[in-house]
Amino acid sequence: MRIRTTLLASVATLAVVPALAACTENASSDGDKGGDARAVTVTSSDVACELSAVEAPAGTLTFDVTNTGSDVTEFYLLGSDGLRIVGEVENIGPNLTKKLTVNAPEGDYFTACKPGMVGEGIRAKFAVSHSDDEAGVSASDQELIDQAQANYRSYVQDQSDQLLLRTKEFVQLYKDGKDDEARALYPKAREHWERIETVAESFGDLDPKTDAREADVDFAAGEKWTGWHRIEKDLWPQDATGYRVLTPQQRATYADDLLANTTELDRRIHATGKDALTYPIDAIANGSIGLLEEVATGKITGEEEAWSHTDLWDFQANVDGARVAYEGVKPLLATKDAALADELDAKFGALQELLDQHRSGDGFVSYTELSKDEVKALSDAVNALSEPLSRLTPAVTS
Amino acid sequence: MLANFLIGLREGLEAALVVSILVAYLVKSGRRELLPRIWAGVGLAVGVALAFGAALTFGPRGLTFEAQEAIGGTLSLVAVAFVTWMIFWMSTAARGLGAELRGQVDRAADAGRWSLALVAMLAVGREGLETALFLWAATQAGTRDAAGSVTPTWEPLVGALLGILVAVLLGHLIYRGAVRLNLTAFFTWTGAFLIVVAGGVLAYGIHDLQEAGILPGLHSLAFDVSDVIPPSSWYGTLLKGVFNFSPATTRLEALAWVVYVVPVGLLFLFRTRIPTSRPTPAAS
Repeated sequence: MRIRTTLLASVATLAVVPALAACTENASSDGDKGGDARAVTVTSSDVACELSAVEAPAGTLTFDVTNTGSDVTEFYLLGSDGLRIVGEVENIGPNLTKKLTVNAPEGDYFTACKPGMVGEGIRAKFAVSHSDDEAGVSASDQELIDQAQANYRSYVQDQSDQLLLRTKEFVQLYKDGKDDEARALYPKAREHWERIETVAESFGDLDPKTDAREADVDFAAGEKWTGWHRIEKDLWPQDATGYRVLTPQQRATYADDLLANTTELDRRIHATGKDALTYPIDAIANGSIGLLEEVATGKITGEEEAWSHTDLWDFQANVDGARVAYEGVKPLLATKDAALADELDAKFGALQELLDQHRSGDGFVSYTELSKDEVKALSDAVNALSEPLSRLTPAVTS
Repeated sequence: MLANFLIGLREGLEAALVVSILVAYLVKSGRRELLPRIWAGVGLAVGVALAFGAALTFGPRGLTFEAQEAIGGTLSLVAVAFVTWMIFWMSTAARGLGAELRGQVDRAADAGRWSLALVAMLAVGREGLETALFLWAATQAGTRDAAGSVTPTWEPLVGALLGILVAVLLGHLIYRGAVRLNLTAFFTWTGAFLIVVAGGVLAYGIHDLQEAGILPGLHSLAFDVSDVIPPSSWYGTLLKGVFNFSPATTRLEALAWVVYVVPVGLLFLFRTRIPTSRPTPAAS
């Protein structure tokens, strides 16, 4: 008898505790003002995925998903990377309506219907706009903090995965002597590194092996120069006087070393248990600040990509990373200092606008094409953002 | 109709399998007096799931997606632990079987009596919430207002209930077949079968936790055979319902499955290979 009650109680607790901790308001469906914009109806057929709206104000969104097709369907709300699941409903049989309720902060998302439950699904962009009553959702600070941490962790892990994937491609091209293709991929692969640079740099042993610039290496002390920039110099030797290009064997050595370190980085970023990385809220906020400092000290000066001059890619990626980190803690900031959130939104926007002027094709112009005035304008925009950003950590941890 | 039927079938099958094996075991070992406990466990799980699902569907508060996945995932892991315990408990009982009376099969297992009810409860309750939410959504479909191409229809509910009914029938057939086996064969087969089922439940639980973002690696797939075995096809449904086979399996899921099934399977084989005395003919 006693055994039974203990067992039953433990199982009941197991089932109920997460439930109590993770309830969310069901939106009332009687169409009251303000609730409407956050209630989206989705019609999923065998060939289409129709939404009644492609944007909503931030807060608790509900998607009423009706399956008008003949096969079972699923509906997903995915993060801006198209990978992270923000919310999903499964098992929507024909003629059924199921509801997805999610707390969505401002940002870009994708929606996806998956008729037949396979593949990428029928995707569309979905935008969540800023909302003043965003903080009015039933989320306590702790929930906002937990969500920020979970979101940031998946962002870092996802970028790390993509970095590894692109690095594999890159070193293969480099080893095969396909220099043009390697040069084209170089800045795109490094984007993923630059987006999570503050996390990558936290591994003091990997960072110097991977991302050291020639100027940072103490050759006199017998340090070896390896990593991205070593290969960069070999791919863009035109500015280097008296430079001897690497032999295929040497290429392979550096390439394999870069891949090994990137693999190790990915492993550590995905570590679970006692080695798992933690992302306290102040660390996320500081990461945002740190990434912008990276821009101010390295990218804006053109020192990072001394040979390839692809500094603007790194610049953009640092800003991406800083913005993602900031947006992760924004719901929390909105409850504590809404004015600062508005200012940061504006300054991030201004900097992005300026950067967009230097786009070319699917990337950016070479750093060498920037005039002194243009560099100064970028530098000013970075500084204008740095000041309010430096107040982010105290504001969210207050 | 077919699609909703298959969902009901899939959700019902696995619970029906575990419960039917449990019942067959008790009947074979002459412990029918424990049957009401099994049914109580099943009934309780069904009741709680339906009530909980109704509260979430019609009440003012819903469940976040992460919470729903976390509940499903956690209960799966607990269910695996209990089903594993049940397998070895039954095989321990099997080793003591000889010409002795079947009524003495598991004297040592009195503490197991209520655990049996719990196994039945977990087997049903694990996917119970998801199924309950599905059934209530199907009920809502029958009472909703017409809007454009969306009209009220009871078809999904009927389809899903039929699917569950067929799952129960299949469970009954399994029970009938299992009861006919002689005891040694019964333990060997049901044990081996349950290990594979439990491995599937474990993988499924891992996948739930990956979707909720609690575990990493949702997008690194070990294999994807969705083109060959569409998850919504009848055979995809059966594979999922019986073995929790997922056509697109992540590496972590596959790893968990192997890490569970191989050692547990070997241990089980090792224990059941210990010669028992003459197999007892099945009770007619």
